Amino acid sequence: MATTITIDPLTRIEGHLAIEVTVDSGVVTNAKSSGTMFRGFEMMLQGRDPLDAPHYTQRICGVCPISHGMASCLNLEDAFGVVVPDNGRILRNLVLGANFVMSHILHFYHLAALDYINLDDTIVKDMAPWDPNYVTDDMVTGDTAVALVGHYVQALAMRRKAHQMAAIFGGKLPCAPSFVPGGCTEVVTQDKIDDFRTLLAEQRTFIDGTYIPDVLTVAGAFSEYFGIGVGCGNLLAYGVFDLTDGSKLLARGRCNTQLALDTVDPGKIIEYVAHSKYRDNEGKNPADGVTQPKADKPDAYSWLKAPRYDGQVYEVGPLARMAVNYLSGDPTAVALINGVLTDPQLGGSEEEPLPISVLFSVLGRHAARALEAKLVADAMGGTADDEDDNGWLGELVVGEPVYSESDIPRDASGIGLTEAPRGALGHWIDIKRRRIDRYQVVTPTNWNASPKDDLGQMGPIEQALIGTPVANTEQPVEVLRVVHSFDPCLACSVHMLRPGKNKPEVVVHTRPSI
Amino acid sequence: MNVTRRDFLKASAAITGALALKVSGLMELQKAMAGGANAPPVIWLQGQGCTGCSVSLLNSTYYMTIDQLLIDTLDLKFHPTVMAAAGEMAVEAAETARNADGGYVLVIEGAIPAGANGDYCHIWPGTTMLDALESFAPNANVILSVGTCACYGGMSAGKPNPTDAMGVEDALDYLGLLKNLQATVINIPGCPAHPDWIVGTVAALLAGETPELDNDGRPEEFFGTYVHKRCPNRGLGHKAHVLSDAGCLAGLGCKGQQTHADCPLRKWNAGWAKNLPGQPAEPLAEVKNWCIGARNPCQGCTEPDFPDGMSPFYNL
Repeated sequence: MATTITIDPLTRIEGHLAIEVTVDSGVVTNAKSSGTMFRGFEMMLQGRDPLDAPHYTQRICGVCPISHGMASCLNLEDAFGVVVPDNGRILRNLVLGANFVMSHILHFYHLAALDYINLDDTIVKDMAPWDPNYVTDDMVTGDTAVALVGHYVQALAMRRKAHQMAAIFGGKLPCAPSFVPGGCTEVVTQDKIDDFRTLLAEQRTFIDGTYIPDVLTVAGAFSEYFGIGVGCGNLLAYGVFDLTDGSKLLARGRCNTQLALDTVDPGKIIEYVAHSKYRDNEGKNPADGVTQPKADKPDAYSWLKAPRYDGQVYEVGPLARMAVNYLSGDPTAVALINGVLTDPQLGGSEEEPLPISVLFSVLGRHAARALEAKLVADAMGGTADDEDDNGWLGELVVGEPVYSESDIPRDASGIGLTEAPRGALGHWIDIKRRRIDRYQVVTPTNWNASPKDDLGQMGPIEQALIGTPVANTEQPVEVLRVVHSFDPCLACSVHMLRPGKNKPEVVVHTRPSI
Repeated sequence: MNVTRRDFLKASAAITGALALKVSGLMELQKAMAGGANAPPVIWLQGQGCTGCSVSLLNSTYYMTIDQLLIDTLDLKFHPTVMAAAGEMAVEAAETARNADGGYVLVIEGAIPAGANGDYCHIWPGTTMLDALESFAPNANVILSVGTCACYGGMSAGKPNPTDAMGVEDALDYLGLLKNLQATVINIPGCPAHPDWIVGTVAALLAGETPELDNDGRPEEFFGTYVHKRCPNRGLGHKAHVLSDAGCLAGLGCKGQQTHADCPLRKWNAGWAKNLPGQPAEPLAEVKNWCIGARNPCQGCTEPDFPDGMSPFYNL
């Protein structure tokens, strides 16, 4: 007999998300992902000074503001035609890299881990906000639970220090003021380089010695989750961290379960709205889209639109980035991922590694996230083994410019593609008479938490939920585990209101089953 | 949970220095702790926001760290970003705390949209943020509006404000609840709010004090002086002409002369600096920065008219 359950609020994410699943004979057979909050950033940006955009858009999200700052600066730099000096580019990479590390640590310990731990043997037993919680027989207990909770507390300090590190060049976190089109306002001094390096060393020790081992411990205890939450099987990355040689640390590309690697053409992105609360009847590319909200639209169940690439559903995030790098032959990604696939704790070995397909799963996402934290942290500081490799910090030059001045063109268009910790992030701008005429944002959670599109295809989180076993519909922790593996950020995905000439019509909102 | 006297004294020992509580407040607190007082329950609701204020709170170090706050000091009954429970279990935790004797501290993060009868922000089934404020405000002992969105609408209410977003006091007025409200509303703005402003206010309340508030409902202790008055760039005689230049940023659009905040003194993202048994100071505790320190003009993020009244941010 089928039961429909709703988890609302779905907690330990950013923002407002409601998940509805139908469970039939102990397995999820249908799923709906719904964003339940809306602000209207794009209407706000219309008519404003383009230089305000990086600071307004950072307030789309307090967990990944730097990603928006980066996307917005890239967007404006594309429109203005300005080239950022090396120091400025590297400083922004360092602040963004530090925020990636912060976000990944926060995600595993403070957002996801409680799905896997029975707290009865720990210091936070019966203590709010860790109590009440679902308690299921498969959760880890005893020494493992105690260790994980100890690391949870340690991780609170580590992520705080990652922000301290980011602020050295960012100014303050969250919401770093130093990101401007043309580069960075903060300058390079030897003291700042040294302080960043010292804090980074501590982060790297934590990632290598605690974060990654903890992910593997949880993976070892829950190995069935290498086969749960597979999702749509298509991965997409715009790529991020522009390097001195013109490449990106994490490459742009698409791949899938067939391990076919392909390119990304932003022109092939269409945002569908059949099940989204907007007035349009057809999908549009973000550079062209014009829609208005319609809260009572029939069959619509989310404030999120459904971005699709070439008509197909794509998942974004650390898994997409690490997989694209792996298939592109990046030696670092290959070594890190092979390390997981051959790990005896997970049932792998050198002779018989786990198949790559295990990455398309709940645990694959957590593993990719942790490995990516290491990859990024190591790039920032350089390889411990090679004395000549001091990473991005080693490329900074005291006294060289961090910023290039430019004028705002009268009329121009731009696009800025980068990655937030959660996945591919794009900003689009049209400037008319030196003011913002149109500003568009498509966020990673737009992709991942999207509802069904016009072709009836479910979004990535919805697809990942299908087939998930749910032992007890009163304690659907399995649903939480799948959703949390995507690291959803809803403020990011429900901020947009396509510009119409008029204010949105106020209609009576009839909330469907979600 | 019970806060032991020893635990809170440990935290209180951190509350010293030029920017901290009056001594008498601490003695009240110690008296209260000796009497076995419990930490009040806290219900933290999020409306239209970005969670930046919660992330900022996680960065707390000056008074105490977040683990000291959550484990030793507060009884955080509901907070969607960190709480273990989800769905119905989480809603029940909030509603049980609301209905319990003795009241609670209600924290609001994010703005409250009144447009479309509140439909632009649902926080759980059948409940908009507007509904939640209506239902949780009456029993609260004190309401903390954390962040400029919760205080005055902030970024969420940026023109043309399509969702009719507003801050807590305006929303309470809209609901007809402001006049007879039992609770004091304290506004702790900032985009995001500085963790010290939040924790410092909480510490004052736990000591039995009601912080002195300015005309915009903000604690005088943190918001009593303009940024400009204490800016180290004043009187240097050197003006920045281009971004990334050193010197006074007034000519590039700085709003320090219109903005109340203690950022020039306190700065942002400092480490843990106290030397306590079992928790020594961090080696790089004094490494910190701030907007003007990073050579970017102040954006005026603690003011009621942020962002519209402060835009454009630059004058290049």
